[in-house]
Amino acid sequence: MADGVLLREGPRAYWVEAGRPPVGAPWSSGPLPENLRALLPRPGRGAVGCVDPSLVASATALGVAVHPAGVAELRRAREALPLPVAAEERAWILTRARADLEKALAAPVETLIALAREEERVERTVGRETGAKEQFLPGPTGELAEYARDHDRFLLSQREHHERLAARLERLARATLPNLSVLVGPRIAARLLAAAGGFEALARSTGARLQILGARRRPSGHGPRFGLLYRAARMADVPPDRRGRYARSLAALAVIAARADAYTHADVAAALVARRDRRVEQLRRQG
Amino acid sequence: MTRRRADRPGPVGGHLYRREEDRRAEFWTEALGDPPAVYGERIAYVGDRPLRRWDPYRSKLGAALARGWTGPLPSPGERWLYLGAATGTTASHVADLVGREGRVYAVERSLRPFARLLALGGRYPNLLPVLADARRPEAYLDRVPLVDGLYLDVAQPDQVDLALANARLFLRGSGALLLALKTSSMGREKDPRRHRDEAEDRLEGPFEIEETIALEPFHKRHFLLGGRPTRALVAGASAPPVSRRAGPRAERRR
Repeated sequence: MADGVLLREGPRAYWVEAGRPPVGAPWSSGPLPENLRALLPRPGRGAVGCVDPSLVASATALGVAVHPAGVAELRRAREALPLPVAAEERAWILTRARADLEKALAAPVETLIALAREEERVERTVGRETGAKEQFLPGPTGELAEYARDHDRFLLSQREHHERLAARLERLARATLPNLSVLVGPRIAARLLAAAGGFEALARSTGARLQILGARRRPSGHGPRFGLLYRAARMADVPPDRRGRYARSLAALAVIAARADAYTHADVAAALVARRDRRVEQLRRQG
Repeated sequence: MTRRRADRPGPVGGHLYRREEDRRAEFWTEALGDPPAVYGERIAYVGDRPLRRWDPYRSKLGAALARGWTGPLPSPGERWLYLGAATGTTASHVADLVGREGRVYAVERSLRPFARLLALGGRYPNLLPVLADARRPEAYLDRVPLVDGLYLDVAQPDQVDLALANARLFLRGSGALLLALKTSSMGREKDPRRHRDEAEDRLEGPFEIEETIALEPFHKRHFLLGGRPTRALVAGASAPPVSRRAGPRAERRR
């Protein structure tokens, strides 16, 4: 049992001792404020209960013993704190939420996932607009022809936008997922990551799971043979009736690549590509 | 003649309204946001007060109401901790129910839904978004005080343990627990009703279960459990914290 609990509440730090009103002071990081320091037990004379990592660091720097406070202790301490002022509380929590989100999204994996989803969306837009164009029959002159020219300009700019986006995505994918990018292609590698939901999830999944990742149909009975891998590297070189077998082999290799990218950071791409190409040749010779 | 009057949502209590449509109960809440609609739901006006229709297919609490829920509900002025807020569909209705004087601390872990929740928090006066994992309640101890209610809808295999751990840290003795139980997340090999019974058994003791309701046909294999904490909840606060990665797999190995 600690002599008291060191807690954080909004932009403040509090020292809460049983039977006494809590003492607080403005604090965000770094050394503890003077009035709190004076209240903490002397080094070697007692212990402080605390769970907040930055508070733990500040207290440890003062030489006092810090131990993780138990649930009951934390609850009692939290209950003793004064309720926050409504407007201040809202402003603080919203600011904190925005900062937390920005920090989390700045991670390379999250950036890659966001770009991969965006690229998929823009690709759909371009495909849809291109298809729509083919059905639209403008005459040589007149209102419709003018609109068609307008639409051409729009489509062209969308295609350019897509190309720039894809280039950006591929550069990032090659940097973040070097092995997988070489094996299945950077765009598909990024999409696999986005579909899995993260580095960990991708690296932990099995080959069987990866093979159908991103498939629209549910894998029950005669389930899908492909998901995102259908558009992976060299799929087009395999005769259609053997693509399912290729997808299976490729998925097995892709798992190895994903794990190397997530954990060992070893360069296994060359060996995997050799095995992939051997499999493609084998499948082409058969039948 | 009287049809028009019957069509208009009438107050049930607090900020909740109800009306009969085709002999089915439909629920509405007083909208606090501006613009009032959050997820494309219908809006009606009572006087100049905007009401939002609570879609039972999109919200488990909404579904429970439509199925005749009589258990605990958020009421005006209360603080609620909402775990698994996602984009804030149900959380916004809970925020409506607690009103301007109340608070909803909406915890969500995944980034993309949270981005939308944050945008919603920007235009909802009493919805406070928190980017955190319900498995680590100490991480939001700096933002969440003791609360009058705990709503949990996390679709995790250990959802009951998460409810207990968070209640021990944050829930007042006079408070209420609402747990949206997704039995599909707890293993499909067992019957949903067995999952429900087991969840009730786990909660009984620290909680007194007041009502359990199946959410069919709005949500398959889902239940809503409502209860009040007992003295045993806080007494058991020294129990070990939730394991970081509990799940069906960990259970099978045992």
